[in-house]
Amino acid sequence: MERIPALAISQVVKSFRAHQALKGVDVRVNEGGIFGLLGPNGAGKTTLIRMLTGITAPDAGSISFFGTPLTRAHIAQIGYLPEERGLYKSMRVGEQALYFAQLRGMQRQEAEKRLRVWFEKLEVEGWWNREVADLSKGMAQKVQFIIAVLHEPRLLILDEPFSGFDPINAQRVRDAVIELKEKQGTTVLLSTHDMGSVEELCDEVALLNRGEVILDGPVHALREQARDGRFTLRFRGTIMEFTVAIGASAELIQVLHSESTVGEHEVMLRLSPEGDIASWLHWISGEVKVVACTPWQPSMRDVFIETVENRESNSMPS
Amino acid sequence: MSALRHIVYREWITRVRRKAFILGTLAVPLLVMGSMAIGWWLEQGDNQKSRVLVVDVAGMVSQWDERFESWVPICPDCFPDRASLTYRFAAEGMEDEAFIASDFDVMVVFDDAILQHHKAMYYYEQTPGFDLQAHLKTDLSMALERFKVKETQDLDFTTYQRLKTQVSLVGQDIVTRDGHAVGRSLVGFVFSLFLFMQILIYGMHVMRGVIEEKINRIVEVVISVVKPSVLMTGKVIGIGLVGLTQFMVLSVLVWIITLVGGMWLEHADVLKSSSDALMGLDLESWIAGQAELNFLLDVNWPLMIASTAMFYVAGFALYAASFAAIGAAVEQESDAQYFLIPAMAPLVASYFLAVVAIENPEGPLAVIASFVPFTAPVVMLIRIPLGVAWWEVLLSWLGVAFTAWLLLRMAGRIYRVGILMHGKRPSWVELIKWFRHAD
Repeated sequence: MERIPALAISQVVKSFRAHQALKGVDVRVNEGGIFGLLGPNGAGKTTLIRMLTGITAPDAGSISFFGTPLTRAHIAQIGYLPEERGLYKSMRVGEQALYFAQLRGMQRQEAEKRLRVWFEKLEVEGWWNREVADLSKGMAQKVQFIIAVLHEPRLLILDEPFSGFDPINAQRVRDAVIELKEKQGTTVLLSTHDMGSVEELCDEVALLNRGEVILDGPVHALREQARDGRFTLRFRGTIMEFTVAIGASAELIQVLHSESTVGEHEVMLRLSPEGDIASWLHWISGEVKVVACTPWQPSMRDVFIETVENRESNSMPS
Repeated sequence: MSALRHIVYREWITRVRRKAFILGTLAVPLLVMGSMAIGWWLEQGDNQKSRVLVVDVAGMVSQWDERFESWVPICPDCFPDRASLTYRFAAEGMEDEAFIASDFDVMVVFDDAILQHHKAMYYYEQTPGFDLQAHLKTDLSMALERFKVKETQDLDFTTYQRLKTQVSLVGQDIVTRDGHAVGRSLVGFVFSLFLFMQILIYGMHVMRGVIEEKINRIVEVVISVVKPSVLMTGKVIGIGLVGLTQFMVLSVLVWIITLVGGMWLEHADVLKSSSDALMGLDLESWIAGQAELNFLLDVNWPLMIASTAMFYVAGFALYAASFAAIGAAVEQESDAQYFLIPAMAPLVASYFLAVVAIENPEGPLAVIASFVPFTAPVVMLIRIPLGVAWWEVLLSWLGVAFTAWLLLRMAGRIYRVGILMHGKRPSWVELIKWFRHAD
């Protein structure tokens, strides 16, 4: 029996006057996983997130939350850290965190207890009675993160959660997200341009471009799919000799690196569909001096750029 | 409902604990009371009598007394022995050095010329206070008046004083027998002016609060938890309560100051009836004895305070709704000026109408303005102390409250679109579009 997804977004459309921000988006977020919502600026990510948090409503389509249509009643089960975030400057840190907890319906005592734990975990404990105006950007980000997760939401939406952090604090927050997933079973929707975090954290992703999902699936599958038979070869010789030697047996996609002093080059290649890598390597070793050959493993950054660029070039009028 | 309560509390507490609010609310009346106490203290410390030498060259106000072998006043009543002042008389002035060396503080020269130009020269080493100058003027004027009456009309001065008449007007409503309408409408004006200022000041607080949430980007977190309309309503109620808190605290403080001040005045024997300078009175009796002040006793103070609070609540909600919508539409205060002028125009107009209403509180302009929802909060308060029928007050208040409810709903539609919009200031046409397409 198929598991009920945490979020099932189906054919969601949203327009702002003449501009269509979302054009029938379908996304499925599995429970207990970390789902990456990717896309270039203006792709429609924030619009989609605002619908999930009840700030705006779709013009058409449906969103279900753990099997039931999403309503404002579900808001208490969602935690949200927006990209554009702030705090009230005229309040003290602890008081402000308590205010948001109580806005979400938490009892003061329980909220205070949980806040003490989180403040200690993210090393903010000395700031409880300090004015928000005294906080550094990173410290304020940690407080905002705590505010988003304090009520132990079933779904946590994080929009660029690591921006503004130094590497140590960014890792601390990453660890906290992983802990939420593993210990509390929290489903996380992560919107970020930091592809390193996507590779490290996300189980699945969806890539939005111009209001449409142009790619989705598990991270490892997408990276594997993007390999497309490509591999890298390090050899000694000249590029000209190498190009002549390979002829039509392989496609030279890119020269990755050249060391002219020793005449060593690194290139990316793709064999013709009927080619066999072992016999091809044996053959080319007779033409140039092969130093190394490795299958190419695309990063999520590569997947992102290639997919968006392909889509853009395909949509350009010929 | 719980979220609304927390928003209201946050808006209220973060403002009432600010130093500016505490100083503005508590310190001002305390400063007034403090300055009164300091004045009293200085007066106590400054109870040394000033010695004044009246140099009566022409013998108009003094004569030689063989028994005392000194110059004495012809009219002793004209130169009473005051607590702060004692007179001595002489026929010749003193040289400057002699005056400086003497124990006199002031030397007044009373010569023939005073009959023509009514001016007397006075000399001093240290500038005399206003009190001393006022006493000198009163006493010398009376002495001169007595001299002129005697010289020119050969009339007994006591008879002259009896004949001397100053007419004052005492009005009375022929139906209600009320004689203090003008004074009481002035009391109403003080309340309406206060209400006008509170609406303006705290209305601006609402606008600034909305702009702060918008530019701080905190609004997105809040409206992901509560509806924008709840956030806006909470802000309006919370900030409105700040104004109400200030009004209530000031009312209590003024009451305490009046009570304590009255007790002090009684204790210090400052309250003395004009008919019997020796008899101390309580504050209420003293006010009743002052014709120009006794309208204060006719004012129904609890009714005035309750009416001000009620009209403040409805009037503030009415104007704050517009201020909230304006705050949501802009990203900085300077951009708000464009929208503020039409939003504030009815409030400013109500102030001018209030000024007109004092002149003629029962005139058609004042009556109509006290029922128009945008001007009623300010203008009705001028009419209430004159005795407006309860149903008129209720009708006027209901009109304001209903309009406030309508405006809050309308402003809410602009607010929920505006708070998420960034970039250039919207035009009026865009605002209308936000209003129509808020859903």
